[in-house]
Amino acid sequence: MKKALLCIMLGFLASAMYSQSTVKGTITDESGEPLPGATVLEKGTINGTATDLDGNYILSVSTANAILEVSYTGFEKKEVAVSGRGTVDVSLASAAIGISEVVVVGYGESRKEGLTGSVQSLGSEKLEQVPLASIEQTLQGNVAGLQSVTGNGQPGANVQIRIRGQGSISASSEPLYVIDGIPVTAGDLTRTNTTANTMASINPNDIESITVLKDASSTAIYGSRGANGVILITTKSGKEGKPKVALRTQYGFNDWAVTDNRRLKPLTSEQYTEMFIEGWVNRGETVERAIERFEGYYGDAVTFGANGEIQQVNVETDWVEGITRVGQNQSYDLSVQGGTDKVKYYASAGYFSQESPIIYSGLDRYNSRLNITAEILPGVSISNNLSVSFLNQKGMSSGSGWANPMYNAYFLAPVIPLYDEQGRFYGDHKSFFMGGNNPVGSLSGDDTREFDQIRMMDNLSADWEIVDGLTFRSSWAFDIINIEENFFRNGRYGDGRNVGGYANEYYRNQLNWIGTQTLNYATSFGESHNISALAGYESQKTTTKGIRASGEGFPNPNLRTLASAATPTQASSDITEYSFESVFSRLDYNFNYKYYLSASIRRDGSSRFGSNNRFGTFWSLGLSWRLDQEEFLLGSETITQLKLRASYGTNGNAGIGNYDAKSLFGFGFDYDGTGGGAVTNIGNQDLTWETSTNFNVGLDFGLGNVLSGTVEYFERESDNLLLNRPISATTGFTSLTQNFGAMKNSGIELTLNAALVETSDFQVSVGGNISFLKNEIIRLDEEIIDGTKIRREGLDFQSYYLYQWAGVNPDDGTPLWYVDESMTETTGNFSEASRVVDGKSATPDFFGGFSTFFRYKNLSLDGQFTFSWGNYIYDAEARFLQGDGALTPRSQTHLNLSRWENPGDMTDVPYFRWGGNNNSNAANMTRWLFDGSYVRLRNVTLAYDLPASALQGIGLSSIRAYVRGTNLLTFVKDDRLYHDPEAQISGVISSPVPNLKTISFGVDFGF
Amino acid sequence: MKFINIKSLLLVGFLSLFSCSKEFLELEPFQSVDLETAIETIEDYQAAVLGTYSGMQSSNYYGRYFVLVPDVMSDNVKQNSQANRAQLFSDFATNATDGIAAGMWNTIYNVIARANTVINAESDIPAAVQDDRDQLIGEAYAIRALAHFDLVRMFAQHYGYTDANSHEGIPIVTVFDKDSRPSRNTVAEVYSQVVSDFMQAISLLNQDPGSARISETAAKALLARVYLYMGNYSSAETLATEVIESGDYSLLSTDNYVDAWSSGNSSETMFEIAFSEVDNNGSDALGRMYIVEGYGDYLPAGDLLDLIPDDDVRWGLFKTDENLSGEYGTVRVDKYPNPSVQNNTPVIRLSEVYLIRAEARARTNDEAGAIADLDIIRMRALPDAAPTTASGQDLIDAILTERRIELMFEGQRLWDLMRTKQDLIRDNCTNSTCRVDYPDDRFIAPIPQAELDVNENMTQNPGF
Repeated sequence: MKKALLCIMLGFLASAMYSQSTVKGTITDESGEPLPGATVLEKGTINGTATDLDGNYILSVSTANAILEVSYTGFEKKEVAVSGRGTVDVSLASAAIGISEVVVVGYGESRKEGLTGSVQSLGSEKLEQVPLASIEQTLQGNVAGLQSVTGNGQPGANVQIRIRGQGSISASSEPLYVIDGIPVTAGDLTRTNTTANTMASINPNDIESITVLKDASSTAIYGSRGANGVILITTKSGKEGKPKVALRTQYGFNDWAVTDNRRLKPLTSEQYTEMFIEGWVNRGETVERAIERFEGYYGDAVTFGANGEIQQVNVETDWVEGITRVGQNQSYDLSVQGGTDKVKYYASAGYFSQESPIIYSGLDRYNSRLNITAEILPGVSISNNLSVSFLNQKGMSSGSGWANPMYNAYFLAPVIPLYDEQGRFYGDHKSFFMGGNNPVGSLSGDDTREFDQIRMMDNLSADWEIVDGLTFRSSWAFDIINIEENFFRNGRYGDGRNVGGYANEYYRNQLNWIGTQTLNYATSFGESHNISALAGYESQKTTTKGIRASGEGFPNPNLRTLASAATPTQASSDITEYSFESVFSRLDYNFNYKYYLSASIRRDGSSRFGSNNRFGTFWSLGLSWRLDQEEFLLGSETITQLKLRASYGTNGNAGIGNYDAKSLFGFGFDYDGTGGGAVTNIGNQDLTWETSTNFNVGLDFGLGNVLSGTVEYFERESDNLLLNRPISATTGFTSLTQNFGAMKNSGIELTLNAALVETSDFQVSVGGNISFLKNEIIRLDEEIIDGTKIRREGLDFQSYYLYQWAGVNPDDGTPLWYVDESMTETTGNFSEASRVVDGKSATPDFFGGFSTFFRYKNLSLDGQFTFSWGNYIYDAEARFLQGDGALTPRSQTHLNLSRWENPGDMTDVPYFRWGGNNNSNAANMTRWLFDGSYVRLRNVTLAYDLPASALQGIGLSSIRAYVRGTNLLTFVKDDRLYHDPEAQISGVISSPVPNLKTISFGVDFGF
Repeated sequence: MKFINIKSLLLVGFLSLFSCSKEFLELEPFQSVDLETAIETIEDYQAAVLGTYSGMQSSNYYGRYFVLVPDVMSDNVKQNSQANRAQLFSDFATNATDGIAAGMWNTIYNVIARANTVINAESDIPAAVQDDRDQLIGEAYAIRALAHFDLVRMFAQHYGYTDANSHEGIPIVTVFDKDSRPSRNTVAEVYSQVVSDFMQAISLLNQDPGSARISETAAKALLARVYLYMGNYSSAETLATEVIESGDYSLLSTDNYVDAWSSGNSSETMFEIAFSEVDNNGSDALGRMYIVEGYGDYLPAGDLLDLIPDDDVRWGLFKTDENLSGEYGTVRVDKYPNPSVQNNTPVIRLSEVYLIRAEARARTNDEAGAIADLDIIRMRALPDAAPTTASGQDLIDAILTERRIELMFEGQRLWDLMRTKQDLIRDNCTNSTCRVDYPDDRFIAPIPQAELDVNENMTQNPGF
């Protein structure tokens, strides 16, 4: 009605002014979707107009033979002759670069050119068949300002995401994940597994797009959960047309991502034996006595000559070799989509399997999904997205636990045999060597460490267009996660040796339900005022239940359920829950598709916040100006796109424990067989969300039809940080969670894409992004020393605070340190050394990615590099693995071979002595700090699409075959680093499963 | 029209959803209750007191380190070659950032906070269970006293270090205040608080809750030990006599002595920290620091072994390990022998009370009484031992030697060395430090750096 009226008015006005011929029509994209705000210009004049909300335009032209120039950002400009017609409908083809896509935003979608905030999307082509277990891993290097880090190569490991830096000191810095409108649970929900990621349940092939919201304008609508950014995941839906079937298959191999010469090597029996004797001699013993000790441990593993020389090595075990394999990577996925104008569907089933190069460690996943939409009445449609997944992860411990294979395999003396006389995995070293752990046996089935996860997500919603432009949507969703963990340690050797074996079983069930009701209204008024408004109400509750039980004494090592345990040792259960309730609204306005304004507000209440501070209000304001729609640029061949935008606003971080605000008295403090209780939490009724204030300014530009890009500057200030502030332990507690302190992240992000060659046969394009990030703690009244780091006002959050290693005294092989930050005076006495802030941090100076794409006819080559520069890595386990003999009688790595042996030796490795060498292996010193800068060829794919002619008559619409390399090449700046440079956000490495290099072969079939 | 009705219904429904707020956001935890209302019934008192004992099971307290550390710093224990726990204490090389010092400090103050929760709870209890409540509060007072006593022993020089006992002790905490940043009380003030809390406990305790908890008699025995440390020998003698004559506890027979260490809860155990199959420190158990099935970090020093007479029943608390040789010897401690279930940690036993009285009597010129008490313990271990004939300082030395043997590996030796102002001399020494002359700053633990960082009123012990 209104629209018609508007058209009539416009028409009337136009004809009144010119009384010349009038043309009207609709501008759409290729799929027939209207393009609001497209420019329609009479060629050779400045006479033009823009389409309305429904893509309609009316234009008076000077002559009935006028030529219309129709343009729209991201689409190929098109010229159409009017040829006397009264109605000219135009369909535009999307341009190769500067995609004009419909972008999913919070509680809705928007055309990209209408955005006022910082939003970046990734399409399905980047996600399909990636040989990675978790979709978050694909974000690495693809989104400016986003760090995606997997510090552990365990398939299905937790992925850390930081969007525009670390936002919090004690609370979570992870973004909010929203799948098809449902804020879902992310992260590691397991209790006994080293690293897991509940998001690994998602099949990347089901994803249509991932949108990352970075600034206040886009995230304030998520209120108290938006401060760390929001990742919106949209699953695929069916499109009208006959069924399209896709079958994707992939098979590949996994190896360590770092090349052989960048890995730590274990010692050989000969090397170990020499160092064994040297270590005792350096402690003041005779060679004879040292050999006696050796034989006390290892019997006749080595035959010694009369002068103590090694005559023959009788046992040679390479434990690292023993736990290493070539892993397999497999992925098979079948999907079908299609529909009528009323009912559309997408259905899929998938299987993914990944084995790490360490035996046992791997992941298997099965998925199915059905997304369906049906128009049941005129203007009323319902949709349901249902997905079910099952995954099984087999993992191992990390860190300095004796049972960690990646740690233990280096320590175990090569003179200990792999098997005993009965052919079983050897365990007789349990009385003197790290509990008799045998990593090969443990990972070959003698022990168990795995979990199963079943996850079901369903989102049922109804849309009703009440009147033209006014839509009501009611959406009800649940996300159910079931985790079952099994942990078993055999009774013969290793951690279970003293109790005849033990097993732990953990069950965890999480129900997350959410109801969202929104009203959306869009209209135009006057000549050029376009407005859309959103109001909504949302409630959410998450309940997690757990049961744990354990037992010991397993008479049969193959029967590992607790029914076989001689002694049950624990049975316990727990429940925890939280709720959110919110109202929110957003107003989008633009004038003539030139000037945009977007304002949003959300009021959040949460059970997590203290009663004194239960509700909070968050807001944002965004403005943008499409300069390319101004007359002076309209039709320009040089500057094809130019948009300036700015936003400001607030959001919050509610990433605190469910009951942190309460003062609590808890139970489970049993004594002498009877239940006991104690104070468990001091409580703080003032406790509330962290507030984040964001400023963002960005410029989107396109030059010619070749180059497009975005440059942005942001400032993100987090205040009222949730901080576990240390308090005097005389209170009985060591910390209290308080809102205190502030942190600021600021930076520049640059994204560039260029289509260098663009013909039907030949295509070359390059692209990349780089982010410069500065983090600073701007208010903190007490320093917090946290492991290797210090949190201090004025410093980067990840600033290292370490003793300064000054190398080895060439005269006697003892370690040296610098006394203070002046780095002038050295000392051999560790207690005289001091910890120093020397400007090194785990935060990179800059990071990002760049990609290249070549296509010649049906052959394409796609490459993507990622990089991180200026960040430092701390190896937490090096102090043991290269401990200079601190831990008798553990083996060491090849790095100890370059130890000091004779006066004058210039080396960085002190002399070897059992029991240690003047604190040479102390923790928290720069000896274990490495430059983590790297460039990595993250992905390279060579693909061939069979030409249509070859497919005729075989019932297939497409066949694509490819070979793909993941993490194929890695350039590391620091040649001292014998680890994968991709460390977790904190920069600390704890002997994890190595990151994977994958080479895979795949064929995709389309029917 | 029908359309309009549906529309208005939906809109009303939509708007009405705004109203469910309050209760929806008021979620109560399932595993905890509000601290304000946690202690109201007699069952609540019981749970809170058991929770306080539970804190004492920590591997930082009676579960391991509080008992292990004073022994590895003494002449009773030597370091094994691969020792990897508490070795800085053992070498007298610890520092303020040491995790063990912080662990003990934090844990013991947490136990005090738990005891204070009981002592300061306000509730109306029916008269019928008033005695039960008195017993429970009495136990809380006794635990608070013991915890302060343990802190002042570990983190401050001994009572007689200065003439007026005016050197720095540790902060006394009797109420919970999350903002408090206390300074250190003097040792005299701490001992006075300890004595007063034990007195209060003795007046309230009226039941025998078993050896895993504190009875009136056990509280008296602990107070007797405090008096001995303070040099108040007549009070120590009086209390020890009350304990011995109470008849509540009896010494084990020679034949049963060794076996009782495996089972716990023996007739002479007055108070011990109990551990069960489901409630123990696993690989962090005290015993596992000694036994070969555990970490086996520490071994009995030859200096101690040389003092134990042949045929003494207490040789049964050692075990031969042929893998040990040279200065490491062939003997391991087997006083806490169970590799899977943690053995109970004794806090005070009747045999110590005899030795307290023997020492108190010897130092107050009742040598006959002293010898009688000493020989009860000596001849229980070795029935055909010759009766003691020593007198004067020799008699006191004999009593201290007997304490050294009888209470070995129970975390007492270092304190006995300090309070009797003896030098630490390790002849069978595998440590980097083999001699520490009295007095020395390093006989005590450093105040944890974390405490100094947050509490400007706290002062560090000299030498750290």
